[in-house]
Amino acid sequence: MDELEQRLSNCFQTVFTGIDAAAIGAATPSTVAGWDSVASIKLLNVIEEEFQIEIDLDQISELDSFPRIVEYLRNPPAAV
Amino acid sequence: VTLTEAIRRNEAISKDLSPFSVVLACGFTPMHMETFLQARLAEAMPGRQPLIRTGLYEDIPGTLDACQENPPQAVAIPLEWSDIDPRLGFRSSGAWTQQSLEDIVTAARHQLSRLSAAILALPKGIRVAISLPTLPLPPLFALPEGQSGAPEFLLHQSLTEFALAAGARPQTVFVGKQRLDSISPASSRHDLKSDCLLGLPYTTAHADLLSSQLAALLHPRPPRKGIITDLDNTFWKGIAGEIGPDQVSWDLQSKSQLHALYQKTLAALASRGVLVAIASKNEASVVEEALRRPDLLLSSNSIFPVEANWGPKSASIERILQTWNISADSVIFVDDSPLELAEAAASHPGLECLLFPTKDYSLGLKLLERLNDLCGKETVTEEDALRLESLRSNASFASLTRQGEEANPDAFLAGLDAHISLDFGAAEDPRVLELINKTNQFNLNGARYSEAEWRERILTGAVQVAAISYQDKFGPLGRIAVLAGTLNGDTLEVFSWVLSCRAFSRRIEHHVLSTLFQTFGVAEMQFDFLATAKNGPLRDFFASLIGSTPEGRIVLRQQQFHEASILLPHTVRVDRLNAAGKS
Repeated sequence: MDELEQRLSNCFQTVFTGIDAAAIGAATPSTVAGWDSVASIKLLNVIEEEFQIEIDLDQISELDSFPRIVEYLRNPPAAV
Repeated sequence: VTLTEAIRRNEAISKDLSPFSVVLACGFTPMHMETFLQARLAEAMPGRQPLIRTGLYEDIPGTLDACQENPPQAVAIPLEWSDIDPRLGFRSSGAWTQQSLEDIVTAARHQLSRLSAAILALPKGIRVAISLPTLPLPPLFALPEGQSGAPEFLLHQSLTEFALAAGARPQTVFVGKQRLDSISPASSRHDLKSDCLLGLPYTTAHADLLSSQLAALLHPRPPRKGIITDLDNTFWKGIAGEIGPDQVSWDLQSKSQLHALYQKTLAALASRGVLVAIASKNEASVVEEALRRPDLLLSSNSIFPVEANWGPKSASIERILQTWNISADSVIFVDDSPLELAEAAASHPGLECLLFPTKDYSLGLKLLERLNDLCGKETVTEEDALRLESLRSNASFASLTRQGEEANPDAFLAGLDAHISLDFGAAEDPRVLELINKTNQFNLNGARYSEAEWRERILTGAVQVAAISYQDKFGPLGRIAVLAGTLNGDTLEVFSWVLSCRAFSRRIEHHVLSTLFQTFGVAEMQFDFLATAKNGPLRDFFASLIGSTPEGRIVLRQQQFHEASILLPHTVRVDRLNAAGKS
């Protein structure tokens, strides 16, 4: 994991207590217990705090896996 | 606190701690409020495990009604306009037309009545903290720019009537609007997109700050008991010894209004039972003359004692603390000199030392607010009114005691014409719990209780609660002691016993035990003693009875007590014995 992925991994560990660290890289709502819509919001708020960014709420439904969030963080959409 | 920090703090709360159950009654998605409220409560009450229960979505009265079945220890209600009528929020498609405004106002009044009724019906002892709407009303009034009108006034009127009605319930308190406005500006509270898309109306910063205020209300810090103030350039403007007692000032004309505001704040706090004393480097005669001025905004009668001398301030403070018989961590010291504050702080750990900012009015206002924060009291008891006079009496008492004890202590005590009363029907008097929760030195074990916990404790089994009052020829001290225990066969098992430090040295504690042995006819008393950092006086009392320093549970047999007993010259009355603490 590079630094960005490690920081994101820490966010997952904050929101999903007891998550298997080795499984975070492939995490999706179907592989993580408790990853429901409420947890999605909490996760994205924690990511916002960690990376000092603002995530557009319209995109929440698309940020549904660790790889997709990594992709979003590496290539954030241009501000409107 | 960020959301990340709050989540981590909550994870770190030990599951072994005693739980403190709180219902979070909010009409919107409670997610962030739940997280922040738990974290802020854990911060406010270390040693407890706050457990947050959330209620029904968009139904605060329903959530409160459910508390009847499963009562929590506390309830937090972050009320918003959308809870009062959905059309006053941003998620409803209900009309904002001129025709519907009247209906919105009427519906809001009915909903607030329903809400206040639900709050008033909550089981006794549950503490309730409410924040009135913190988010803006939507643009529903269609008025010219910047204008308010009757419908909005009527909504606020209904809200005020609700607050007055609900606030009549004991233990129901409201978040202060001014304070919240200063820490969480109105423009930074609402996240409209999050509100509409997710049902989360608060920004995380506002959720945290509002939670911090609610938590502080649900578990308030014990107020500081006294303020020691400097005089020159603090209590008044000018140096009395240089310009003369008649030239120091506290008024607009002399550009010294900040000192007037300070005196008024002290007077307001003194009127609610806060002690005020003076520690001044001055000639005593100069101070006496200045304190005789009739235009003082804090009457000199409300100040006791006055230490005016050229010694170190720390020594004056030490004598004041001895006269008050309270510890430094219950007291605030205000002075305009950073040097004096540092000297006092170094000698008295725990003393809150606050600078009086002579030039900066903005900082001056913050000082006055801080004094209110630290010393303000929700309710004023009969004992608050008696406290100052009883301290004056105590000073006379101590002086006479020293003389009397040297001559003949038994004769001296017998000459006090003292009367003690044990009232067994006052277990739910707020003063009883206040005494238990704020007494340190003569305290059996330091255990503190919320009102709900106390009620649960005294309603269990054969519990007896004695509320003890005292008066002598120097005047009444009011209710100064509480003893609570469970009758178990021929044993009284005492789980709480406190005696106000104002009432030491009068053998009241001996009288209480003697009366209880006699009243209940028990062969022994057992005490849940636990040594604390401050309960040395109670430990020493037991040591004098059992012949050794107690280390844990104490068993005191009747015969043992009488063998160690001393002359008990006061008259004792027992009231409402059959009430036995039950309501």
